[in-house]
Amino acid sequence: MIKDVWESIRRENLTLEKLAKTIDHSLVGPLVTDEQVREGCEIGKRYLTNSVFVKPYHVPLAVKLLRGTGVKVGTVVGFPHGCSTPQTKAFEARQAVEMGAEELDVVSNFAATLAGDYDLLREDIGAVVEASKGVIVKIILENCYLTREQKIKVCQIAEEMGADFVKTSTGFGTGGASVEDVRLMRETVSPKVGVKAAGGIRSLEKALEILEAGANRIGATATIKILESFKEYSGK
Amino acid sequence: MIKKIDIETLTQEKLAKTIDHSLLSPLITDSDLKQGCELADKYHTATVCVKPYHVKFACQLLANSEVKVSAVIGFPHGGHLSKIKALEAEQAILDGAKELDMVLNIGALKSKSFDFVRDDIKGVVDVAKRYGQILVKVILENCYLTDEEKVIACRLSEEAGADYVKTSTGFAPGGATVHDVELMYETVGPRLGVKAAGGVRSIEVALNMIKAGATRIGATRTEKIIKEWVGLKKQKQDEKFILPGER
Repeated sequence: MIKDVWESIRRENLTLEKLAKTIDHSLVGPLVTDEQVREGCEIGKRYLTNSVFVKPYHVPLAVKLLRGTGVKVGTVVGFPHGCSTPQTKAFEARQAVEMGAEELDVVSNFAATLAGDYDLLREDIGAVVEASKGVIVKIILENCYLTREQKIKVCQIAEEMGADFVKTSTGFGTGGASVEDVRLMRETVSPKVGVKAAGGIRSLEKALEILEAGANRIGATATIKILESFKEYSGK
Repeated sequence: MIKKIDIETLTQEKLAKTIDHSLLSPLITDSDLKQGCELADKYHTATVCVKPYHVKFACQLLANSEVKVSAVIGFPHGGHLSKIKALEAEQAILDGAKELDMVLNIGALKSKSFDFVRDDIKGVVDVAKRYGQILVKVILENCYLTDEEKVIACRLSEEAGADYVKTSTGFAPGGATVHDVELMYETVGPRLGVKAAGGVRSIEVALNMIKAGATRIGATRTEKIIKEWVGLKKQKQDEKFILPGER
């Protein structure tokens, strides 16, 4: 395992800084308190992660704490069931952007996908992308509920509607990110669309595996653990 | 005033009118919704409780039924902006919802930001009042709370003008318990109603909840519960029939 990790680090030409910039440090659980947002923002600042992801009502607090640090604030839209109306999602997205969020992880209406209602899915994703001009929009598929064909279809629609990333999972479904899904999503979308993997990435080994499968971004709560084990491996 | 229901005088009709038939799973499709609305209409439940984007469709399906449509707001984590909850509530009302089951801001409650929690609820209550005759139920998500936090959440809901407090979303690690329903009823009943949801899958559990003070039950196994009630009633009659002194 240690040898694999080493090879993987070398192959990806990874540094601690680069790895940290693939991470969205996630604080979106329903129980996360103000205090935990403060602690989480400190972690983001210490390691210079790409962003800190918070619940919508925590955006103003996180923006204040991370101003001038180079660490972005991200938030979720329609989280975690994705069943708000397109109008509500668009409004939620616009509000988040106005408060200073620079990345939005939007849960697609996966019940619409399950029902084969792709017109609604297009409207759902399109409304949010339209309302979020100037920031990065990631569309969460919630793969654990979808068939292979459905995953492909949502990726295609997300790209067609102008999303910047497709993302595997909310972390609150019955399953998280898998190597197979990341590969499939990477193959489906064009190179200008990113792939974010989230849900169950709790170790450096898993993170490297996922990055090698083609993910550009990782959503993690175990950020310290992942980055500290990188330090150990790379002898920094 | 939402008084306790007397189990002794409970009938199938009354029981059905305590039930919000829940169609909230993120996996519920349009055809599941259709079936669910037909079932609710068949048994005359109080409402069908649906996801926001399904409100319009459910209202169309139940246009000629007495069964109302209830929408969830800020579901299931409650971490949305207050503004968004209010907007989502208004949209649901305009789409035809007559009841709103909103999730309070659990993180804010845990942070002891009680004014925030109250204002968050009040934002939805204000919208409901503006349209009149719209019930607001506040979901506490008890499994994450201490008893003290549950009591505070009940009081904040009352202060904000809500009509009901509700135990759970049904999407967290724990659901309704007799202890919690009793605690909630002691705290705000009968001024506010108590809705028990999450894990109420049999008539035994449903009756225990009602005895503890629940006047509304959130259930997915509505048909099973009502059929079990009918079975219980029949059993009781049969028992009576064979009682020696009664022949």
